[in-house]
Order: sequence, then C-alpha cells, then structure tokens
Amino acid sequence: MQATSSMQSNIKIRNGKIQIKTFNRSNFVLHFILSFLVLFTIVAPFFLEYGAIDIQTAIFYTLDNLKMMFLQPALSQVTLTAALYQILITLALAFLSTLIGAVISFFLAILSAKNLMPSYISNVIIAFNSFIRAVPTVLWVLIFAIVAGLGSVAAILGMTLHTIAYLTKAYAESFEEIDNGMIEALRATGAKWWHIIIHVVLPQTSSYMVSWTFLRFETNYGVAIAMGAAAAAGGIGFELFMASSFYYDLHEVGMITYFALIIALILEFISIRIKNKLIGSKS
Amino acid sequence: MQQVLNKEPINSSVEISKKVQKGEVILKVQDLYKSYNRGTPVLQDIQMELKQGEFISIIGPSGAGKSTFLRCINRMIDPTSGSIVFDNTEMTSLKKADLRKQRSKIGMVFQHYNLVSRLSVFENVLHGRFGYKSTLQGVFSLFSEEEKELALSILDKLGMKEFAYKRCDQLSGGQKQRVGIARALVQQPKLLLCDEPIASLDPNASKIIMDHLKDISETMGITVLVNLHQVDVALKYSDRVIGLNKGRIVYDGVPEKLSNSAIRDIYGSEIEDLILE
Repeated sequence: MQATSSMQSNIKIRNGKIQIKTFNRSNFVLHFILSFLVLFTIVAPFFLEYGAIDIQTAIFYTLDNLKMMFLQPALSQVTLTAALYQILITLALAFLSTLIGAVISFFLAILSAKNLMPSYISNVIIAFNSFIRAVPTVLWVLIFAIVAGLGSVAAILGMTLHTIAYLTKAYAESFEEIDNGMIEALRATGAKWWHIIIHVVLPQTSSYMVSWTFLRFETNYGVAIAMGAAAAAGGIGFELFMASSFYYDLHEVGMITYFALIIALILEFISIRIKNKLIGSKS
Repeated sequence: MQQVLNKEPINSSVEISKKVQKGEVILKVQDLYKSYNRGTPVLQDIQMELKQGEFISIIGPSGAGKSTFLRCINRMIDPTSGSIVFDNTEMTSLKKADLRKQRSKIGMVFQHYNLVSRLSVFENVLHGRFGYKSTLQGVFSLFSEEEKELALSILDKLGMKEFAYKRCDQLSGGQKQRVGIARALVQQPKLLLCDEPIASLDPNASKIIMDHLKDISETMGITVLVNLHQVDVALKYSDRVIGLNKGRIVYDGVPEKLSNSAIRDIYGSEIEDLILE
C-alpha cells in the first residue's frame, strides 16, 4: 500500500508526458561525453589541412611500401644468423622477466588470496598491484632506465614488475577458486599453513598457473620486441628499429616482421598444446 | 610389497585402545554456548560426555547446530563460552601449536569428502599425518615407511588398496568417502567426527560407509560421533542418540527409548511420521 502511494508521488511528468528515466548525474555525464565525441568526429575532418597531400599518390605509395615490406622481404644489414640470434635475445628477455615474475607472483598471490590470508593483508597487495598494472609496461621500463640506464636491465626490471602485478592477480584468483572444504579438511588434521599451500593449493591450481604464465610469456615476447626499439634493450626489436628509422630499409623491416610473427605463431601453437594437455588431464 | 603389507603396522590404532581403558570418558562438554555476532545462539547449554569406543549419532533438523557443534569440538569454529575437555586437555584455551597437536588426535569426515581431487588416493590418505609433521617434513612429503604401511593397511581394511594410485576425481562418491575415512584414521585418532557422512551417497554406498564407521568404533575403540539426517540409520547403528533442536539437546539416550514424542521434540510436530517411512 505504501509502495503504490510512494509510486504515485515518485513518477516524473514533464511536458505532460511520463518520464521513463530519472535524471541522475552519471547518466548525464555519460550522455554529455558521448554526444561530444560524436560531434567531434563529425566536425573534426573539416578542420584538417589536406593541402599538401595528394590522396591518390599517398595511397599509391602506401601500397608500394606495404608491397616492399611483405612481398619482397630481404635481409641486407643483418645476416640470417644474426637475426635468429637477436630473436633468441628477445625470447630470453621475455623468458627471464616471466620466470622471475612468476616466482615472485606465486608468493605474493598466496598473500593476496582472500581465502588464505586475512583481508587487510590481501587488500594492501591488491591495491598496490592495481596501481602497478595501471601504468603501462613501457613506462615502467623508462622509469627503471633512470637507475639502470637504457638497456636490457631496465627492460627486464620493468617487464618483471608488470608481470608480477598481472600474474599475482591471475594466480590469486585461481587460488580463491579452491573449494574451502579441502582447506578445512587439512586444517582439521592439524596440518600447518605451508602444508596446505603445498599439498592443496599447488596441486589444485597448477594447471591454471601454467596456462596463465604461458599467456604472460606470449605477452612479454611482444613487449620485449617493443622494448628493443623503445628502450634499447637489444634483440630483434632493436634491429627492427634500426632497419626502419636508420636505414629506411623496408625489405628488411618486412623480413624481421615475418621472423617475429613466425616465433609468435610457434609460441601460440605450443601454448595451445599445453592447454589441451592440461585440460585433458583434468577429467 | 605384499610381504610388507601383511606385516602388522608398528603403531596401529588398535594399540591405542589397549592404552585407554574401555569406557573411559574421552570428551566432556560443559555449558557450551555459541552465537555468531552476538545474535541468536546457535548452540546453548550443551552438556555431553562421550566414552571411549562409543558410537553416537546426533540427529536434528537443518540449522539445529549439528555441524557447528562438531566443529566446536576440534575448534574449527571457536565456541563463545563453555568448556570442552578432550583427552584430559581443555580445548577452548589452546594456542596454535597445542591446538594442532590435539586436532591430530581428532579425525574428521565430511559430507563432500573434501579430498584434494587432483592428487592420488595414497597422497590424500597420507595428508592425515601432517598433524605429526614439522613444516619441512610436511612440505617435502617426508613420510616414514611405517606411516606408508599404516596408510596402506587402513586402505586395505576399507577395501580401497587397489585404488591407491588412482586420482581422487576418478572415484565414485562412496569410494571418495572411504578415502576420507582413511585419511581420518591414518591420524590414529581417539575421536572421529563425521559431518553428514552419507548425505550425498546412495543407499548402497551409505550402508558400506556406516558399516565401516560402526566397525571402527567396535574394533579400534575409536569414539565415533556422527551427524545424521536419516533417523532410521541413526537408530540402527548408534549406541546412543543425541537429538538437537534450535541449539539445545532435547534427547540424549539409547536409540531403543527414542519414542515418537521425542522425535516430535527434535524435528517438530509436522514430521512426526518421519520414523514410519
């Protein structure tokens, strides 16, 4: 009865029409931003200066460049063995940062899993982690470059830090999925906290941890290529940077891109194999 | 291998029964009171004495406090007030290390078995020994040959030895529960707490489990305290039945004297024909 009376007084009528939505601040802000973006997209092209560009030639040259890159790839400045060696360096950068990150993440994840630790400890770690994740990897590498100088050390430190933040969250979430009954059962036998970590948490979540770690390894491989160019960390990324910005050799850029792509495909293939194997052993 | 298994384990549970005289009080609960967040009490005014080798069933409707009571005994849940004396030790005041030591003498069996599903039966059974291990011994699974033999002999007794290396997620419910019992027995407990051990099992598997529990109380001299939903099962197996309603003990006595009116006190009048089924 109270509900109907309050409803009658609640209903908003504007211009003689019943309003479906009520005004609230977040809705208003959302609509304002969306309409501004639409307006900007429509208006902006009219203010661009096209005078110096001949659209037809521009498209022609772009296609020509793409043809040089991907249809006529060739190595000129670097030899094939050097390129393969550089790819190995890039893989090593990715591997090292993933490995160090994974080990540290495991311990941090134990501390930040809400079913294993009191919430005041886990909340501190979770908050700290989201701050680290909010800053892009490249920025972390450049921050570490202040102390370590531009190069592989800064790249590994930055990538490791971001990996830790990412994997800690991923691991902790899989730890929290564990059936609390198992933990209870072991506590009831008088088992210690570390016994539970090693003999319940680890076996129950190892397959998730492996697949998360491998996913992060693939991401780190991509980041490591970028770091070679952006932070002079070496590896295939640096060769790519030299070929494109120093020698303007588009044939080589294409060839290096193909190399990087092939490795990425191999990694993807391995990761699918691992995942299938882990899922297969689950049943 | 076979030779090793046939050998009598060095310190089997049977020996404990020799040390403790038959009929000695193993657990004494006085004025136990438990409430969550100072709300309505879950348990109040619980008085109980359990003797060595007894088979006791606790029956009562859902939410009567059966599970809470069981968990108060081994302090998985801390009681608000009252005293629990187990094996001549006051449980309620124990700190970490001593509590661990006492817990290792109390086995626990769960409705959902609570086995580590990715590990083998053998590994799960050996988890029962962690209460006797230091951190490093436990982390690196350093179990003595005697402990392994004990685990295997218990598995053999429960008819699960052939599954020792099988992963627990490949077992049926009844088999999982037998592994759960084996894990509790390998602790060499003096008291076995069973929280709805047959609630998720079919009648056949339920009978096997209850027969094993009965056998444990009779031959090993281990006190078995079982939470049950099935009144007929409780009547058939127990030496003593305890009826719990709204956190209070409303019946405590032999199953033969559990009258229809007593059952009505436990479950409420609307299900008084419960026992006739």
